[in-house]
Amino acid sequence: MKGLASAPGDYVYFKSQVPLHKISIGSKQWRYYDFGPKSVPPLICLPGIAGTADVYYKQIMSLSLKGYRVISLDLPRVWNHLEWVHAFEKFLDTMNVHHVHLYGTSLGGFLAQIFAQYRPRRVKSLVLSNTFLNTEKFSASMPWSPVVGWTPSFLLKRYILTGIRDGPQEPFIADSVDFVVGQVETLSRDDLSSRLTLNAAAASVGPLLLSDSLVTIMDTNDYCAIPQSLKDQVSERYPGARRATMKSGGDFPFLSRPDEVNLYLQQLHLRRVGVEPKQDQISGTSKDGNAGSLYENEDDNPQEGHGSSGSHFESHEPQSSSNAEGSHDNNGSENDDGPPKDQVSFDLPESDHDPQASGSETCLLTIISISAMASGIILLPEQVFSSIHFMIQLNLGALYTAKTLKV
Amino acid sequence: MASRRRMLLKVIILGDSGVGKTSLMNQYVSKKFSNQYKATIGADFLTKEIQFEDRLFTLQIWDTAGQERFQSLGVAFYRGADCCVLVYDVNVAKSFDNLNNWREEFLIQASPSDPENFPFVVLGNKIDIDGGNSRVVSEKKAKAWCASKGNIPYFETSAKEGFNVEAAFQCIAKNALKNEPEEEIYLPDTIDVAGGNRQQRSSTGCEC
Repeated sequence: MKGLASAPGDYVYFKSQVPLHKISIGSKQWRYYDFGPKSVPPLICLPGIAGTADVYYKQIMSLSLKGYRVISLDLPRVWNHLEWVHAFEKFLDTMNVHHVHLYGTSLGGFLAQIFAQYRPRRVKSLVLSNTFLNTEKFSASMPWSPVVGWTPSFLLKRYILTGIRDGPQEPFIADSVDFVVGQVETLSRDDLSSRLTLNAAAASVGPLLLSDSLVTIMDTNDYCAIPQSLKDQVSERYPGARRATMKSGGDFPFLSRPDEVNLYLQQLHLRRVGVEPKQDQISGTSKDGNAGSLYENEDDNPQEGHGSSGSHFESHEPQSSSNAEGSHDNNGSENDDGPPKDQVSFDLPESDHDPQASGSETCLLTIISISAMASGIILLPEQVFSSIHFMIQLNLGALYTAKTLKV
Repeated sequence: MASRRRMLLKVIILGDSGVGKTSLMNQYVSKKFSNQYKATIGADFLTKEIQFEDRLFTLQIWDTAGQERFQSLGVAFYRGADCCVLVYDVNVAKSFDNLNNWREEFLIQASPSDPENFPFVVLGNKIDIDGGNSRVVSEKKAKAWCASKGNIPYFETSAKEGFNVEAAFQCIAKNALKNEPEEEIYLPDTIDVAGGNRQQRSSTGCEC
């Protein structure tokens, strides 16, 4: 939380609007954001070595406003690729998500492909950004990988950060690097060594069943930590994929070129692979005013006039609760929102969203966004917590720890 | 294996609804034409690898929806464009009259560094219709307009028959290439505190 003071304004806003979830499934800890209508098949963002769930906050904000569901997560602490497949599958089961669209950058893109290879039925489409097909090159450049588990944290951080190009950079790219460096600081030694192990363990992506037409390759054309030859291999592997190349953006285009990345993700990729946003659940003016018309819903709900300022949206809790109850949830359906498993703890706004209290009756969370960027007032049924919410809006509540809910 | 990065050239096609922007793009990239009209929603793009003077380039051609309600696609869409193609239908006078609006719109949205010399190319499409008998905008009139806007190259095309499409896009690629600097190196605005004993670095010229 300490970083919030110097964080970009839109990140502070994001943290005040979107709850962070932390759950453990088996022995694995998951830290993730899940935002947008629960009835829409999610776009799941998988970060690279240096990333966390937070690095995609600009995508979460923008796409959820357009009625898409975005899940962004920290890579779990796994030590080989099969363990990743199993762990991620369990995560999806717990989330009650069957079909996914994966957006992976760097190591995340590699893991997305591995998952698509082993679980072809679940992966409906892929967006691969600055990524690779095999880890050969990285294992060769990291001969000390067997002792990665013994290496002190600061050395691991330094090793990861050396991959980021230094020197004079354009302000947006420099800011994106700053943000990611700040995120690396939050990672534990185990997180770091797990990622480096995954990156260096010999593995390669086998043939995918997924049609090339459902793959979008979104590389930056200026430079990035992934060598061009490896990126070329990805393009050669999926010759029918769309090549949504960006002229520049560096290693983290999702932060340095968010509007371009969002344009590609929603306007080109998700629409093309047939993901229908639920505009009737969320509508609102966007930050920059014009992005509100970026996505025009063609014929699914023409009655929804876009850009209606001061519009409100209802949260999806009621719907998702009925979904969870109606579905064949293997974990039972005691709680209505987050994944129904062991330990659930929420950060920030929805922390008071007690599954027991809301129980069967629908909990209406109405968010009236007066001005989407500047402020949002959250009205909750429980008056008790409203004061805390206002404090969070004012960034005074940042230190309020989230309530841990035992289920 | 030499894996030199391919330069990316971004081309944006603008024009009224139904003048044949998507058809022109499809004809050029995949040599296909469909008589069925399907409105473009938002925007879409196709890429084509082209070779020019022994170098390979990736041409990224952005097709837009001509409808009024799709017009504000945002800056992200226009950013980094190297050439803008303005298309009208030679059989529809209104689509020609609107060229000026499209050009203005582009210059506002993309805000190129040198708007006076930004490369545009104008295409008068659908010259095949009715053997040219239903034509309402003459070649002379179109060329006069292009001349008045700084000698914009002009082509008369038929996406249906593939007439002049290749030539037009070659010109587009060439102009796009002219606009793209050799290598983009970011040089921050620095204040020389050493007292000006160094030559001021300029990003406009290339050292080759």
